[in-house]
Amino acid sequence: MKLMVSAIAALLLSTTIYAQTEKGAEAPDIQLPNVKGEITKLSSLKGKIVLIDFWASWCGPCRKSMPRLRELYKKYKDKGFEIYGISLDTEKDSWKKAIFEDGIKWSQVIDIEGNVATKWQVQYIPTSYLLDKSGRVVAINAEGAELEKLLQKLLG
Amino acid sequence: MLVIALMVAISASAQIEKAKLTASGLTCSMCSKAIYEALIKVKFIESVQANIQESSYSISFKKDMPADLDILRKAVEGAGFSVAKLQVTVNFDNASVQNDAMIQLNGKAFHFLHIEPQTLTGAQTLTLVDEHFTNAKEHKKFAQYTSMKCFVTGIAQACCSKDVGVGQRIYHVTI
Repeated sequence: MKLMVSAIAALLLSTTIYAQTEKGAEAPDIQLPNVKGEITKLSSLKGKIVLIDFWASWCGPCRKSMPRLRELYKKYKDKGFEIYGISLDTEKDSWKKAIFEDGIKWSQVIDIEGNVATKWQVQYIPTSYLLDKSGRVVAINAEGAELEKLLQKLLG
Repeated sequence: MLVIALMVAISASAQIEKAKLTASGLTCSMCSKAIYEALIKVKFIESVQANIQESSYSISFKKDMPADLDILRKAVEGAGFSVAKLQVTVNFDNASVQNDAMIQLNGKAFHFLHIEPQTLTGAQTLTLVDEHFTNAKEHKKFAQYTSMKCFVTGIAQACCSKDVGVGQRIYHVTI
């Protein structure tokens, strides 16, 4: 019986593995709670250029990338750019504190169980996905000048 | 005869099915792609999935290739980290085990420490307690359950049981 259970578990795991979100693929919808505990759907941002940013308050490199994201957000949000930040914190308070400290004004949700990160095959953070207006993945882990170039192209 | 040999080969290589690995280092292991990229390059690894909240990696091994845990460890170390914890899932078929005794399973030697005598059947999770597969404190803790030198060296000595050849790699595990 135990063997059968583990066989089923292994099967489930391999199904998840093949559901990897790749460049060109349509991003599956995400429904996670925001700081107020309300569900914020990724699909509610359709029609915008969306950067999905997996991060956590304890992740140094993620925090280091925030000033640059803040800059880009300020510059392009009125042109149709939105960031959907997904925190992998397990403590809501640490997450909220980091949002305050880093002055994050964009959509923020928390994936406390890590289910979305697992489904999206996130192997390390920060990991980001840039989606076009139709919700297709156009770039994975684009940052800095490369990200800005893509934004200009997609928003232009 | 050929069929039998083939079957033995399959069961021999399929013994360690998967592993759960926690790495540690000066920086956060989940904030670096180095370990993930090193792991997916290991030839006997089928797939890797990070569990970011747990700071661990779930690894599954290819069915037709034997998993070498030393190579796995070296991949982590090559990425600039060390193994803080490694658990492996092994398939047993009525194996009798007891404290400070070794069993040979399809060419791999497992020396059990700090366990009750029992019979293992089906998939079992074993935790490695060898040096470089756990933290130094944990490794030392398990030294009290054996006086055998192989716990320090990881290699069978001449004094070891007749089932294992001198120089063979022995993994020290607990349940």
